[in-house]
Amino acid sequence: MSVAIKADNLRKIYSGNPPVVALKSASLEINDNEFFTLLGPSGCGKTTLLRLIAGFESITAGELCLYGNNISNLPPEIRPVNTVFQHYSLFPHMTILDNVAFGLRRLGTDKNKANSVAQEMLDLVHLGEYGARKPDQLSGGQQQRVALARALTPQPKVLLLDEPLSALDLKLRQAMRSELKRLQRETGITFVFVTHDQEEALSMSDRIAVMSAGEIQQIATPDEIYERPANRFVADFIGDANFYDAVAGKHKDELVEYIIDDITSLKGQRVESIKENDKVTLAIRPEKVSFVKAGDKDTLAGTVSDIMYLGNTTDYLVILQNNETIKVRAENHHNGEAIANVGEPVSLAINPAALRILKK
Amino acid sequence: MKKLFNIIDQYKGVLPSALMVGIFMLIPILIIVVYSFMIPNPNGGGRTGFSFDFFQKLFFCRDLFDNLVFSTGYLKIFFRSMWISIIAVIVSLLVGFPVAYYIATQNADRRNFLVLLITIPFWTNLLIRTYSWILVLRDTGLVNSMLISSGIINEPITLLYTEGAIILGLVYTYVPFMILPIYASLERLDIRLIEASRDLYTTHWGALRYVVIPLAMPGIIAGSILVFIPSIGAFIAPELLGGGKNLMLGSLVQLQFSSGRNWPFGSALAVIIMAIVLIALLIQARNSRKNGTEIVH
Repeated sequence: MSVAIKADNLRKIYSGNPPVVALKSASLEINDNEFFTLLGPSGCGKTTLLRLIAGFESITAGELCLYGNNISNLPPEIRPVNTVFQHYSLFPHMTILDNVAFGLRRLGTDKNKANSVAQEMLDLVHLGEYGARKPDQLSGGQQQRVALARALTPQPKVLLLDEPLSALDLKLRQAMRSELKRLQRETGITFVFVTHDQEEALSMSDRIAVMSAGEIQQIATPDEIYERPANRFVADFIGDANFYDAVAGKHKDELVEYIIDDITSLKGQRVESIKENDKVTLAIRPEKVSFVKAGDKDTLAGTVSDIMYLGNTTDYLVILQNNETIKVRAENHHNGEAIANVGEPVSLAINPAALRILKK
Repeated sequence: MKKLFNIIDQYKGVLPSALMVGIFMLIPILIIVVYSFMIPNPNGGGRTGFSFDFFQKLFFCRDLFDNLVFSTGYLKIFFRSMWISIIAVIVSLLVGFPVAYYIATQNADRRNFLVLLITIPFWTNLLIRTYSWILVLRDTGLVNSMLISSGIINEPITLLYTEGAIILGLVYTYVPFMILPIYASLERLDIRLIEASRDLYTTHWGALRYVVIPLAMPGIIAGSILVFIPSIGAFIAPELLGGGKNLMLGSLVQLQFSSGRNWPFGSALAVIIMAIVLIALLIQARNSRKNGTEIVH
């Protein structure tokens, strides 16, 4: 597998007073033919990183390579990279076909050839009939697909997508996800996708880079990001999690007792790098906590304080004996009857394998 | 009756502006049109009577034997006016577009400040500003004395009282009318489109050519017309900077009303200028309809 994009300690500081550090230091490798996602809250530097790859911003420090060629200082028109912009940025004075053919025309392809390739690309995004229209005659979803076709027509080595689905409504967004996946498979082009929507990232990506405060927090496959978050930020940003400060206890076999306080402790797997008496943060996904019968071994007793019905699941807030709150998510079976009611005492069990131990 | 009230009710909002336009624009224009068909009064003004003479006078003159012969005298002035105005438009465009582009790409505070700067010349009387150009351009003026003292030339170059000086004066006076509409259309231009264009393999210049200029076209056309219209009728710059020897339509009109004592002929010329302006506006309206773009006012 060859490397499409290699970023080596990329750094971006916007000059000003005071200067703004948008990207502290980012190193990553994006593989050829990969659907790679940059995920993070707004202001985390993901768009800056994308713009550095596209060439819209100059690199403050570090090196950027595209298929082994250093492109750090190339202007955007030289880079074989195209972008799908968040607000589509279609040229309003041109027809859809001219928009889609624009890149090829500027690369010197003759008009007929460029138009026929553009037409094929419009067919690919199911807009073959719309070539003669102007952008403002199309709906948001259609403009989105035109923007995709326009960026794909010059057959870039890498396609950059800057939150392309954020302006669409929910149904359309979900339909576009599989559409994007399909286009990526059919064209074989490396996609770099920027989003703040974890669901989008988890459902489409081969790998995800979670970013925060100008730094990459973790690069991994979607299931690894969810199941084995590298730190508290990742665990908190992707999905829901309960967090508790604890101290590692003595280990018996492979299991370790993590002591939260005098009356509460949780069993979890042993982590190589954590020694006895180390301070840790425990992370537990709410759906990995289950209700059990009272009196079973290793259970946590508590009282239900609040119930949130979410359709397919229900969230129960349970106050434990040490006054900490834990969120438990249970699937709704039968006719949606609650497993427990507010004020009811319950017993909870946590599988030691589901307990994530994060170094402090 | 009720219907009439309804109509009045519907349009009462535009009544004040309709009155303004009627009293201060349509009536004066009507007076000029009426004058252009009257017979001149040696003391100024016109006598009642109908004469088509002064539209004739533009193309013909009477020879010694009172025969009408084709004359190019006034036509020359007419074409010179057209020519000088077109050059003034082109120069204003070349100067105005970069300025408008620069202003449009600044942040909001700075933009407003720069637009204010553009309008500052309007705070001073045009006559005074044009006179000051004489001080700059004359043989002993600023430009020549600087060139001579720096040793580039030995003899002063004649700058004043040339067509170049007229064009300079026109551009100087009317370039804000070019800058402001172009700025208005560039300000609304989505800067991200330039990025999109760069991303699709155009250079800076390519983005300008394929994206910025086409999208600024309504402003460019509006600005060109706004410079062309006053230029064709201008008389201060041709008079002061052209020395009155390169007569333009505006000066000719002024001449007829003052020392010429021929108000009807002056009016006829004014009507002709108005016709040219109307034709220019019609072309513009037609173009903008064809392109589906709006006129920037």
